[in-house]
Amino acid sequence: MEIEVTGAKILFELPFGITITETQVNMWIVMAVIAGLCIWLTHDLKVKPTSKRQIVAEFLVKTAQNFVEGNMGKRFAFFTPYIAALFSLALGCCFVSLLGMYPPTSDLNTTLGWAAITFVLITFYKFKTNGLGGYLKGLTEPIFIMAPMNVIGEFSTPISMAFRMFGNVVSGSIISALVYAALASANSALFGWLPGFLGEWANNYPILQLGLPAVLSLYFDIFSSVLQSFIFCMLTMLYIKSAAEVE
Amino acid sequence: MLMAGTSLEILSINVWHVLMAIGNLLILVLILKKFLFKPVQNILKQREEEVGKIYSDADEALSKANEDKALYEQKLMDAKSEADSLIKLASEQAKRESGDIVSAARKEAERRLKNADDDIELAKKKAAEDMMDSISDMVIDLAEKVVEKEIDKDSHSALIDDAINRLGDSL
Repeated sequence: MEIEVTGAKILFELPFGITITETQVNMWIVMAVIAGLCIWLTHDLKVKPTSKRQIVAEFLVKTAQNFVEGNMGKRFAFFTPYIAALFSLALGCCFVSLLGMYPPTSDLNTTLGWAAITFVLITFYKFKTNGLGGYLKGLTEPIFIMAPMNVIGEFSTPISMAFRMFGNVVSGSIISALVYAALASANSALFGWLPGFLGEWANNYPILQLGLPAVLSLYFDIFSSVLQSFIFCMLTMLYIKSAAEVE
Repeated sequence: MLMAGTSLEILSINVWHVLMAIGNLLILVLILKKFLFKPVQNILKQREEEVGKIYSDADEALSKANEDKALYEQKLMDAKSEADSLIKLASEQAKRESGDIVSAARKEAERRLKNADDDIELAKKKAAEDMMDSISDMVIDLAEKVVEKEIDKDSHSALIDDAINRLGDSL
């Protein structure tokens, strides 16, 4: 039996070698759902809330604000929409796998892009806080010879972030695929010897695949997704905050 | 290699896809800002303002009520003192008027008493004169009877009056 784990399926080709894959399309679907949800939650807001929708919307905004202000301080309160967008997009992109769609977060390009934004922000705040000279000087500490290591260290932050999330989601997919295949094999081994149409049925309808993959999906698609999205946001906030701190 | 229908390798890096991921995230930031954060924050701000307005209105109403209360108390005090002064004035006036009435009555009584005295005096005088006249007539009658001749009343009246007056003086 052959098990193949591939990346996103290419759906369209555009000029200049640009391709649109499942990653992009699924991400757009997630974005559209989030946007629709926001519009639905915030239409017809009243000063005296009368609908549960408004209470939910206010709760989400307040929670996001408290979360960002609690981790980054009041002066970074303007980061709230970014962190909220990052968290909701990461979570949504993981959750689409529950619907059997390709999760965009299992595409390294996606997580690499998001980590790149974090890296740009970290570097920007380091420049802003210490100046270019201070930043370059910081790379040579504690001694000059350590400079290459420090440069690698700078770049390792976003790369580790990107690979952490990508690896978690993709490993979930791979393990799920392996378990599926293993259960199919076990199914044929157990029931395939049955005579006549029973054996055929057993091969066509692997009943052993019913239970265990659901439990794995619960872990990889829900628990791990929430955890990884949360970690990604948390790391972004803490790195930016520490970059903006005066040493 | 990158054909529609085929799949990417599980670990492949494509600059366009990275850029699209970045762009998608930034677009979602704008969407969240416009459709979730702005409206909700606006409504929260409005609510805050409304609550502030309610508080300030309540404070204003309270201070106005206190002002009004002070004003009414002042007015009440004024009315009371006005009433007091009115009563005082009225009683003073009444006292004065009663004094006037009493004094006028007294004067009137005095005047009437004096008139009565004058009348009595006049009556006395008139009575005395009447008496004198009748006495003089009686005297003339007596004298006529005595001298048997008529005495001219007119020519002798002066003499008679003198006699009577002397008689009156000696009486």
